[in-house]
Amino acid sequence: MGDSAPNELARLRRERRLMLLQLLPVVLVLTVLFGGALVLGVMQSLGFAPWFGVNTFPDFSYFGVLWSQASFWQSLWLTLYYAVAATILSLILGILLALALVRTFPSKTLYKYLYKLPLMIPYTVGIALAVIMLGNGGMLSRLMAFAGLIDDPAQFPQILKTHMGWGIIAVYVWKQTPFVALTIYAVLLGVGRETEEAAAILGANKRQIFFLVTLPQILPGIISSTLIIFAFNIGAFEAPFILGGGFPDTLPVVAWRYFNDADYTLQLQGMATVVSIALIAGGILYSYLAIYRRYERRIGRQ
Amino acid sequence: MARRNANATALSERLSPFQKVYLWLVAGFILGPFIPLIIQSFAFRWAWPDLLPSTWWLEQREKSVLPLSWDYVISPYSQVWEATLNTVFIGCAVTVICLIICLPAARVLARESFRGKPAFEFFLSMPLIVPEAAIGIALLMIFIQIGLAGTYTGIIIVHLIPTIPYMIRMLTAVYQGLGRDFEEQAMILGASRWQILRMVTLPMLLPGVVAGALFTFLVSTNIFLLTFFMGQGKIITLPTLLFSKIAGGTLDASAAGITLVVTVPGIILLVVTERFIKEEAFGKGFGN
Repeated sequence: MGDSAPNELARLRRERRLMLLQLLPVVLVLTVLFGGALVLGVMQSLGFAPWFGVNTFPDFSYFGVLWSQASFWQSLWLTLYYAVAATILSLILGILLALALVRTFPSKTLYKYLYKLPLMIPYTVGIALAVIMLGNGGMLSRLMAFAGLIDDPAQFPQILKTHMGWGIIAVYVWKQTPFVALTIYAVLLGVGRETEEAAAILGANKRQIFFLVTLPQILPGIISSTLIIFAFNIGAFEAPFILGGGFPDTLPVVAWRYFNDADYTLQLQGMATVVSIALIAGGILYSYLAIYRRYERRIGRQ
Repeated sequence: MARRNANATALSERLSPFQKVYLWLVAGFILGPFIPLIIQSFAFRWAWPDLLPSTWWLEQREKSVLPLSWDYVISPYSQVWEATLNTVFIGCAVTVICLIICLPAARVLARESFRGKPAFEFFLSMPLIVPEAAIGIALLMIFIQIGLAGTYTGIIIVHLIPTIPYMIRMLTAVYQGLGRDFEEQAMILGASRWQILRMVTLPMLLPGVVAGALFTFLVSTNIFLLTFFMGQGKIITLPTLLFSKIAGGTLDASAAGITLVVTVPGIILLVVTERFIKEEAFGKGFGN
C-alpha cells in the first residue's frame, strides 16, 4: 500500500500533464488572437502607434474627443436600438416557431429543412432580399401600386435607408429567428414533455403551462441565443452599411470610416471607437448574464 | 388513455389553428423574397410598377454585345468562379485546422472534470459574444504590421475565431455520447494508445466529426466581416463579392444572379448536414 500511493500520484500527475497538453492548442490560438487583439487594440486607442510616429501612451484624448461628440452618442443609440429591437423580435418569433415545431404535423421533415435556410446563407443574401422586397422600386412598392395605393415609387413610404432601420431589423430577424428557434427547439427536445403533461393533468391552463413550466425550462436556451445574436447585432457592419440611413451611422460603420480615412491618424480614433463597442457590449452582456445567474440562484437551480 | 384525454384539454400534440397560420407565415417570410429574386435574375427590363418583367433576359441575349445577367454571372468578369474557389479553399483549410486543434480539447472537456472548468468553457465561448467589428478591426491593425493582411493565411487564421466555439461544442457532444467503455476494453486487451485512437475511437467518432466539420465549413463560408477586413479587397469570397455588388443599395439582374449563386452552397450543406447534425448540440446553455 505504502508503495502504490506515490505511483498513483505520479500517474495522476502524468494524466494531468497530458490533459493540459490536449487543451493547449485551442487555448493558445484563442489567447494569441483574442489577447493580442485586446491588448494592442486598447494600447492603440490610448495613443500607442509608433508605426505612424505616434506614441503618446497613455493618452486618453482619443476617448475624450470621441465621447464628447454628440454624433458618437447618436451612433451608440442607433446601434443599440437596432440590436435590441431585432433581438426581441427574433426571440418572440423564434420561441413561437420552436413551440410549433415540437408538435407533430404533416410535412414536418420538409419544414425542418426549410426554416433553417437563413442559417445556412450569409447576411449579404438577406440584405439583397431586403433590397428587392423593401426598396422603393421593390416588390412591396409594386404590390402597393398594383393595389392602387400609390402611383409613383416616390410615394412609397421609405423603409430602407432611414434611421428607423426597418430594413436592418428585417434582415436580422430573417436570419436570427431560425437560430433562436433551433436553439429552443433543441432545449425542448432535451427536457421532454413530461412536466408539461403533469401540469396539464393537474389542471393548469395553456397560459399557466407556458409561463410557469415551459418558459423556465427553455430559459437557458433563451439566454444563450439572445447573448449570441445581440453580440452579433452590435458588431454587425454590412447591413447598417448598405441599408442604414447614413450619418449618424452605427458604431461599427463609424469605426470602419475612421479606419479608411485618408488621414491615418484617425485610425487611433477608430480604435477608440472599437474599444468603446467592446466595452459597451461587454458591460451589457455581463449584466445580462449576472441578472440571469441571480434568477437561477433564486429559483434554486444553481 | 385517461392521460391522453387529459392532454387534450390543455396540451395537444397537434398544431393549434394559430400555429398552422404561423408556420405558413414564417415559411412565406423566409422563402417569399426568393421569388422576386429569381425573377429579377432572369429579367432584362423590369420597370416599376410591373409585377413581372416586360422583357426577359433570353429575349435580349442574341442582340446584346455585352454579357447579360446569367451570361455575366458565369463569365469570368463576374469573378464568381474565383470567389467560389476562394470560399471553398478557405473553408476547407479552416475546417482541417479547427478539427486538429479542437479534437483533443473536446475529448478532455467531455471526459475530465477539473478546477475552473466552467470558466474555461466560458472562455471558449467568448468568440461568440465579442462583437465581430471590434475583434476584426483590432486584428487587422496587427495583421497589417506583420504582413498577414490580404493573404490567405491571415483570413484562415481569423476564421478560426468564430468557428472554434461551434466545433468545440459539437465535438464535446460527440465524445459525451461515445462513452469510454470500448476504449477501456481495447486497453485491457492490450492495444496501444495509437491503436485505440486509430481502430476504436476514430471510427466511432466519425459521424460526429463529419457533422462538426460540415458545420465549421458552413460557418466559415458565411463569414463576411472578418474576410472583408482581412482580405483588403485582394481576396474575394462569395459573401464579399455579393457585398461589393449590392453595396450601392440597388440590385440589378446580375446582382440577383450572384445572390442566387451565393445561396447554393448553403442549400447543398443544408441538405447534407440535416442528417448529421444533432439538434441537441445547439441546446447547450451559455457558461452554465
